[in-house]
Amino acid sequence: MASGGRRQAAPGSGVRSPSLKAALGKYWAIFRTQLVNSLAYPIDLLGRSLLIVLFMWIFMNLWRVTYGASGAHTIAGLTLADTMWYLMMAEAVMLSKRDLSEEMTEQVKDGSVAYLLNKPFNFILYHFAAGLGHSVLAFGGNLVIGAAVVWLMVGPPPGIAGWLFAGAAVILAWLLDFCFSALIGLSAFVVEETAAFRWIYQKFLLLLGGVLIPLDFFPAWLQTFSLNLPFAWVIYGPARLFVEPSLARLGQVLLQQGFWLALIGGTVWILYRRAAARLAINGG
Amino acid sequence: MGRQIAFVLALWKTNLLSAMEYRVSFLTQMAGMMLNNAIYFVFWIIFFARFEEVNGWDLVDMLFLFGVVATGFGVGTYLFGNAVRLSLLIASGQMDYYLSLPRPVLLHALASRSNASSAGDCAYGLLSFGAAVYFAGAFDILMLLRFGLGCLAAVTVLISFLVLVQSLTFWIGNTNLLTSNAFNAIVTFSLYPITLFDGTAKLLLFTLIPAAFIGALPAEFVRRFDLAQLAQICAGSAIFLFLATFVFYRGLRRYESGSAIQVRT
Repeated sequence: MASGGRRQAAPGSGVRSPSLKAALGKYWAIFRTQLVNSLAYPIDLLGRSLLIVLFMWIFMNLWRVTYGASGAHTIAGLTLADTMWYLMMAEAVMLSKRDLSEEMTEQVKDGSVAYLLNKPFNFILYHFAAGLGHSVLAFGGNLVIGAAVVWLMVGPPPGIAGWLFAGAAVILAWLLDFCFSALIGLSAFVVEETAAFRWIYQKFLLLLGGVLIPLDFFPAWLQTFSLNLPFAWVIYGPARLFVEPSLARLGQVLLQQGFWLALIGGTVWILYRRAAARLAINGG
Repeated sequence: MGRQIAFVLALWKTNLLSAMEYRVSFLTQMAGMMLNNAIYFVFWIIFFARFEEVNGWDLVDMLFLFGVVATGFGVGTYLFGNAVRLSLLIASGQMDYYLSLPRPVLLHALASRSNASSAGDCAYGLLSFGAAVYFAGAFDILMLLRFGLGCLAAVTVLISFLVLVQSLTFWIGNTNLLTSNAFNAIVTFSLYPITLFDGTAKLLLFTLIPAAFIGALPAEFVRRFDLAQLAQICAGSAIFLFLATFVFYRGLRRYESGSAIQVRT
C-alpha cells in the first residue's frame, strides 16, 4: 500500500470515458453478482425476512388496542387495516435497504478503499449497484412474508395500483437512502468513526420517516415539519402511496424524491470528488 | 470468590483505561447513543400526546420502562461487552485464549471487552429514570433500591439470554442469524408495554424470549413494590443465570480449538 501522506488522484482522471452502454454493463454485472450471491444463501435470506413477522405482530397488538380504545373506525383517515398495510410496506423498505455506510467506513479505516479506488469503476456507483442487488431480494422476501402475515391479521392488501405505484417509489427511496449512507460513509474520510451518525439517521427514519407511526398521526405542525424533510420520502412516501394510490399522490412522491435526490446526490458527488482527491493512505 | 471479584474489577479497569485512550471517540459514541435513544423515545411522546394511554400504561410508565431497560442494557453490554459477540469467539476459535488461563472461562470472556456506546445507554437510562421520578411526583430511597434491583435483574437476564442463545454455536456452528434475530427480538419486546400482549404471547415473553424480565416486570416493580413481582424477578434471574452457565459449560466440552494465530493487543 502507499506510504503515509501519499496522495492519490481521483479515479478516472485522465482516463478516456467509456461509453454509456459499457459503463452500465459494469454496474449491471456488479448488481447481478450480488443478486446471485444473496440467492446462494436462501436460509439466510428467509431468516432475515422473519424479523418482519415480529414487528408486524407487535404493531398489530399496539394498534389493535389503540384503535379499540379510541372507539373510532378511522384515525386520521386510516383504518386499522390501512395502518397495518402501511406499516408492512414501511418495514419492508426499512428492513431491505442495505446500509453501506458501515462498509464504506471500514474500507476507509483499514485502507482497503485504495484497492477499490484503483478499479475501473466508480467507488460510489459500485456500492450502489452491490447494495441494490442485496435490497431487491431482501425486499421481495420481506414483502412476501410480511404481506402473508398482515393478510391473515387484517384482510386483503390494497389493489394492484398500490403495488405498482409503491414499487416505483421504493426504487427512488433506495436511491435516496443510498445517498444518505454514502454521505455518512464519506464522512469517515474526516472523522473516521461514523457509528453515531448512522444511529441518528436510522432513528430519524424510524420517527420522522414514519416507520414506527404513520406521519398522519402526528400533530399538524410536526407533520408539516416531517414532510419538509427528506426522511419522509424514503419511507412514508412509498408506504402511504401503497395504501392510497392516486396519480396526484404518485406525482407528489416522485417530485419530492427527485428534488431530494438531486440535492443530496449532488452533495455526495462533490464530497466524493474532494475526499478521493485528498485521500491519504497510511500503512504498507 | 474475592479473587474472582478482584480479577473482574481489574478487567473493567483495564477496559476503561483503554477507552480513555480514545476519549473523543468514547464521548462521541456515548453522546450519539444517548441522542439515538432520545429520538426513539419521541415516538412514545407523540403516541401518548394523541392516545393518552394504552391498556393502563402512560408516558410515565414508559419513562420507567426506558429507564430500566436502557440502564440494564447499558450496564450489561458495557461490563460484559463480549456477550454480543460470543458466537464469533466460539466459531472462530478465539476461546483458546480464555481456556489457557486459570480464570473462569465464561466470566473472563464476557468481561474482556466494553462497548463505548453502552455507556450512553446507561446514562440515558439514568436520565429517563430521573424524568420518570420527576413526572410521577413520588420518590423515596426504597424506589432507588428497587431501581437498582430491577436493573440488576435486567442485566442478569439479558446477559444470560445472550449467552444461552450463542452457546448453541457449540452444537450447530454458525448462529449469526439466530443471534441477530434473538437480540432484535429481546430488545424490541422489552421496550413495549406488556399489557399489549395476550396470554400466549405473555408466556413467550417470560420464557422463550424473556423480555418481560428485562423491561415490563422490573419497571412495574420499580414504580410500586409488589412481593409477587419481586419473587418473579429473583426466580427469573436465578433460573436464566443457571441455564446460561450450565449450557455454556456443557457446550464448551464440544469446543474445537482454532488453528488461526490470534494476536491480542
